[in-house]
Amino acid sequence: MPTTLEPVRLSQTVMEPAVELTSDTVNSLDRPWIVLVWNDPVNLMSYVTYVFQKLFGFSLEKATELMLDVHEKGRAVVASGTREEAEMHVFRLHEHSLWATMEHDGSGSNG
Amino acid sequence: MARRTILGREKFVPPVIKVDGGWQLTLDVEERALITRLMGELRALIEGPDDNALLGRLFPNAYLDDEEKEAEYQRLMREELVASRVKAIEAVSALLDPASSKPGDVWDEAQTIAFMQSINAIRLVLGSLLGIDDDESADDAETAATPEHQLYDFLSWLLEWTVRALSPD
Repeated sequence: MPTTLEPVRLSQTVMEPAVELTSDTVNSLDRPWIVLVWNDPVNLMSYVTYVFQKLFGFSLEKATELMLDVHEKGRAVVASGTREEAEMHVFRLHEHSLWATMEHDGSGSNG
Repeated sequence: MARRTILGREKFVPPVIKVDGGWQLTLDVEERALITRLMGELRALIEGPDDNALLGRLFPNAYLDDEEKEAEYQRLMREELVASRVKAIEAVSALLDPASSKPGDVWDEAQTIAFMQSINAIRLVLGSLLGIDDDESADDAETAATPEHQLYDFLSWLLEWTVRALSPD
């Protein structure tokens, strides 16, 4: 597996992709960036699902759920973390040609 | 293109299959040469002027509404993304080069993923070339029959089977 960093482990539910930290305070201070993947008409559903599994260690069910979120809602939050962690996720998603961006949690277009 | 004759019978063989110890590409010589040529074109495009509109989908913005952070991100990461894409292209080109490989060679997972990434990169460039930018134009593209559309369909078919072969059971 051609990875260069340890993927940030995400929690199991779509609504709370904010990793293993449990303290909300620590969460908001240290992990305030979210990574979004946007819908696009070229990438295949199967491919997007596979990339989510590969990069984030999601189960097939979880990856499929996120892929369908992207497909139906136009975008989905797939990871969160520090700015550096979010940039690495964005980079690896870009390596796979997914349309990924990052933003400060609560800065506007997330939700 | 997906039908091979095996012992006198037409039998469908997927273009990428999981085998003991890895993955195999079952495409014929012409198809392998086509992909090799496309890899060369993709590499030339990626290493060419970075304001080429066809590159947009391969090098998207990381920040949508922060120009300063976006500029900083691109300054730090663009070259690295170019290098990563070129490395994958080189790996695929070597895997398909008759001088260094032969049909039936077993690829490891990293090689198969490099193949998957590069095939998809070509699809994205072709998608831009064909003006596929929303679901409507994607639907239109499925019924169009230009050589470019056929190539796009072929690569989509190839990618789908590659993903299927790579996906855990």
